[in-house]
Amino acid sequence: MNCDINIKQLQKNCWRQSKVPGEFMLQLRVPGSLIEAKHLERVVYIANTWGNGLFHVGMRHTLNVPGVKYENIPAVNAYIKDYISQVENEMCGVEMEESENGYPTIGARNIMACIGNRHCILANYNTQELAKKIEPLIFPSHYHIKIGMSGCPNDCGKGQCNDFGIIGQAKMDYVYDRCIGCGQCVEACKKHATGVLAMTEDKKVAKDACCCLGCGECAVVCPAGAWVRQPKKFFRITIGGRTGKHTPRLGKTFINFATEEVVLGVLGNWQKFSAWVLDYKPVYMHGGHLIDMAGYEKFKEMILDGVELNPEAKVAQRIMWAESEMRGQINVIPIGEHPVAGPQQ
Amino acid sequence: MGYSLNHRETNALFDRLAAEYKIYAPKRFAKQGRYSDTDIVRYDEIHTAEEIVWDQKSDFSAKEVLTPVTEPIFYFTEDEYRESGAPKKKILIFLRPCDINAFEHQDRIYLQNGGFCDSYYQRMREKTRFVLMECTEGWDTCFCCSMGANKAEEYSAAVRHTEEEILWSVKDEELTPYFAGCQEADWQLQFIEKNQFAVKIPEIADKETLAKLKKHPMWQEYNDRCVSCGSCTLACSTCTCFTTRDKIYSENAKAGERRRVHDSCQIAGFDAMAGGHGFRTTPADRIRYRALHKVHDYKARFGDYHMCVGCGRCSARCPKFISFPAIINKMSAALEEIAAEASK
Repeated sequence: MNCDINIKQLQKNCWRQSKVPGEFMLQLRVPGSLIEAKHLERVVYIANTWGNGLFHVGMRHTLNVPGVKYENIPAVNAYIKDYISQVENEMCGVEMEESENGYPTIGARNIMACIGNRHCILANYNTQELAKKIEPLIFPSHYHIKIGMSGCPNDCGKGQCNDFGIIGQAKMDYVYDRCIGCGQCVEACKKHATGVLAMTEDKKVAKDACCCLGCGECAVVCPAGAWVRQPKKFFRITIGGRTGKHTPRLGKTFINFATEEVVLGVLGNWQKFSAWVLDYKPVYMHGGHLIDMAGYEKFKEMILDGVELNPEAKVAQRIMWAESEMRGQINVIPIGEHPVAGPQQ
Repeated sequence: MGYSLNHRETNALFDRLAAEYKIYAPKRFAKQGRYSDTDIVRYDEIHTAEEIVWDQKSDFSAKEVLTPVTEPIFYFTEDEYRESGAPKKKILIFLRPCDINAFEHQDRIYLQNGGFCDSYYQRMREKTRFVLMECTEGWDTCFCCSMGANKAEEYSAAVRHTEEEILWSVKDEELTPYFAGCQEADWQLQFIEKNQFAVKIPEIADKETLAKLKKHPMWQEYNDRCVSCGSCTLACSTCTCFTTRDKIYSENAKAGERRRVHDSCQIAGFDAMAGGHGFRTTPADRIRYRALHKVHDYKARFGDYHMCVGCGRCSARCPKFISFPAIINKMSAALEEIAAEASK
């Protein structure tokens, strides 16, 4: 293998280097993790024509075709023009110039989402519909951002492992007269959520609204329709989650019960914030590191710039990060090998 | 007498009726369903024809109009009490033939059973008039024809809904004056003759067979499938079970109200007795009890009809897709098995 290949450039075009010299893996974006199934025929075609016949379900919900030879990349890039145009421009309203050169950037990673309330009985919103609104705010851009969307606080969409998690919440109304006092919501809340419901003396239900997650489990189990979701949709925005070798950590709640307008406002400010933190050089770092570098207060100030918070929204006053310190390995190192404080011999 | 009213004229009719009647019909509660962005259709007061949901079976039945889920029956303080107020206006309910037949069972249980007449039900019932909504197609959970509940006679007026108009057929002389000046129309009310699903009603020959059916393994699958939530009975048009609960006003512990609240034999604890005893301790026991009640015990007691009218709301509301007609057919199959075993 003797090729002069600009790996970095290929990576920016969503091609990933293989350990096999001269082979690459294509990653097709699927914003919101849902597209018309007809597109899979294109994936099959690419895999059988230029790939090695295999298909990988991408870890960020991309459609991955491994084993594409370097010399075939231009042909594949030309072939995916329609896919990119249909998925990005037509489906998501990204106003990208159509090109035979493949994806223009890898910066903003694929927005991954659970199936949402299009299908799931627990989800509180349509994840794909919101993903389609977010995509044009973040893509194409060289500034990195990872977003995970989940229909409910179960967070199957792994928002808490991402720079941003967009987790569906519902404000619940209790239709007092419809409640039969069976206690199933109380049990469900205790078992699946935060246990904020309790039976009253007269066999109705009282709620400690402060700690309600807005998951909607009460509505799912109520046989009488006594718990109903308010029509307005709400979201918990988590920030700063990441995997990685150094300091993986789960994201923390940034705003509880934000409206869609607030979600879009916050994500719309991300590029400006990233650019400022990185001195206008889009290098790859997890969003959480950028927040750490700026400090939470500065992040909050910049990301909420021009965002009008809805009255229900509660913004974190401070964030207590809890990293898994892989570098320290405190939990697996024998006590005797721990660094010792104080004067040493 | 038949009349044809367009929607605007129907709304004008509703306005005239409002002086004397409260009108109830299946109404859509947008996004208030069990799952996100799903609706619920249930009975509520309506003022216009547009509010009536014609193209969907209501999730909950019309019984909620006469016996609300929570109904204060009297208010008390120390040694005095006062009954809750009776409805002032008459009540018109839009409902389908199966639902009218269901009210026959409601009437029997509340007004006659055990020689007792429930005055709270009676005071509602005697003010109630039915408007039959013509139903010729039904839905996939319906089995009214199998239960002989697809036709009804007990109505004050019947209506057929089309895109352009509502055809009325008025039987009740009380209502006739409200139609003065309305365009007359000749039309024939139709009833559904065949559902998408037919059930085979179990015939239980004797007590011995009944005992064998109760012990039959067919019930066991419901221990895994049923979560005993009670959705089926709360949606049921013929179930009448309620419990009473007292609300003591927290500001004055000597005053309060007694309510009755719908209850369900499917929910654990319904049959709990002093000392921690219970008759039906598993989901399978409870399903068996309900099924036998609907298609055997009730008829055995009263002699004429099965209790179930085949409205299918139990199946439609069940979050675990337990089909009641499927249970009935399984009962019939089990009985054939029992008969074959006996004849060996």
